[in-house]
Amino acid sequence: MSDDLKARITAAFKDKSKGDKKMFYIRDVVKWFPGDDRHAVQNTVQELLNEDILKYWSSGSSTYVMLAEFFPKE
Amino acid sequence: MEKSKTPLLDQLEGGKWPSFVKDMKQAAEKSPMAKDLISQLELSYKEKIGHWKHGGIVGVKGYGGGVIGRYSDRPDLFPAVQHFHTMRVNHPTGWFYTTKALRKLCDIWDKHGSGLTNMHGSTGDAILLGMKTDQLQPCFDDLSDSGFDLGGSGSALRTPSACVGPGRCEWACIDSLDICYNLTMNYQGKMHRPMFPYKFKIKVSACPNDCVASIARSDFSIIGTWKGVIRIDQKEIDAYAASDLDIQKEVCDLCPTKCMEWDGKTLKIHDGDCNRCMHCINLMPKALRPGKEKGATILVGGKAPILEGALLSSVIVPFMKLEPPYTELKDLIDRIQDWWDEHGKSRERLGELIKRLGMRVFLRAVGLPAVPQMVKAPRSNPYVFFWPEDIKKPDEIAKEVK
Repeated sequence: MSDDLKARITAAFKDKSKGDKKMFYIRDVVKWFPGDDRHAVQNTVQELLNEDILKYWSSGSSTYVMLAEFFPKE
Repeated sequence: MEKSKTPLLDQLEGGKWPSFVKDMKQAAEKSPMAKDLISQLELSYKEKIGHWKHGGIVGVKGYGGGVIGRYSDRPDLFPAVQHFHTMRVNHPTGWFYTTKALRKLCDIWDKHGSGLTNMHGSTGDAILLGMKTDQLQPCFDDLSDSGFDLGGSGSALRTPSACVGPGRCEWACIDSLDICYNLTMNYQGKMHRPMFPYKFKIKVSACPNDCVASIARSDFSIIGTWKGVIRIDQKEIDAYAASDLDIQKEVCDLCPTKCMEWDGKTLKIHDGDCNRCMHCINLMPKALRPGKEKGATILVGGKAPILEGALLSSVIVPFMKLEPPYTELKDLIDRIQDWWDEHGKSRERLGELIKRLGMRVFLRAVGLPAVPQMVKAPRSNPYVFFWPEDIKKPDEIAKEVK
């Protein structure tokens, strides 16, 4: 797992979360890195989820990913 | 007589069939959550507005699905249902429980949740309704210690499900139970760690009766079938002919492809025209049996009407031998999911993607040939599967014929 990719994904999340939108489809996250391998981005997102830097948010039917700091308390 | 606090809900108990209201009232005698649930539902009926807020929490440690968050928007009135999360528990394949396992499941649920269940949800899972956030992990730990696991939810592989298959059914052409269990164990990561554009469902029916309705409800349907002739037991045919069954009227005339002939003594089947509707076999189970060479037809793209309209699955592999460890099947699933994951839009099901990009694009991407069995009427309408370079010119065909 590349630490560089991890840092870039985290930075991208911080940048994209500056507005009102805090939750993103995993597919959209992959699109932020057109030059990187899709599977590598997905695996890195999984790593960040394991490290609690990112968190899943689910409506029940669809799953989103967001920075843990923005995850609603209730 | 004391006036009922739930006059609108009470009306639902008045019909001919058992009512969920009766079950909820029974649960409310010992569960404060069920009590508040009834009151909130009555308020919803009265105000004609839902009082739930959905979404958020997804699961327990290590899981990205299996729990669906739900909160009351009137916790001031109904504090017991302030959190009312749903937990999806992966059902045993074919829904075969021992009573001991069911009791254990209910005991765990009485201890940690509202006691209300939905056995089973349309995904097939055992649905446990109504749990507080602080009980999620302890409940999961108890379930896990008893051999249960969470099912899929969100943008993930949903809990695969299968019909009872060879466990109870004489028509089973494949071991739907083993296939479903094998796939469930193989795809644990895809079930518990959502990474797909949207939901993906796999359902297995052991014969073309398709008792789990996989053709209409799943993105990837595996339906047992056979090659060769339907086996006929003439003695039993004679017995049916001597009974109340009118073979000509009730069997042959209702055959959708008219592939059967009955002369009053002998039943003849033109197996090449049979489309596996199972009507004759269902009506004369002692006399007719599926052929000896058994396998499965693989179909993709079925879905219920959410976002876009309903779709029925399309055949992509007319016949596949299915034997453990099902390597060919898993390879195909992987190729399909990878293509869908790459090209599907967010919240776009596989069937919708195939509709958007075209079946021939899909077939080329997953490395499958277009075959006549994919088309409803191949002789009169070859449809649009073929790439221009695949269509032979008349002089090429003439040369081949010579």
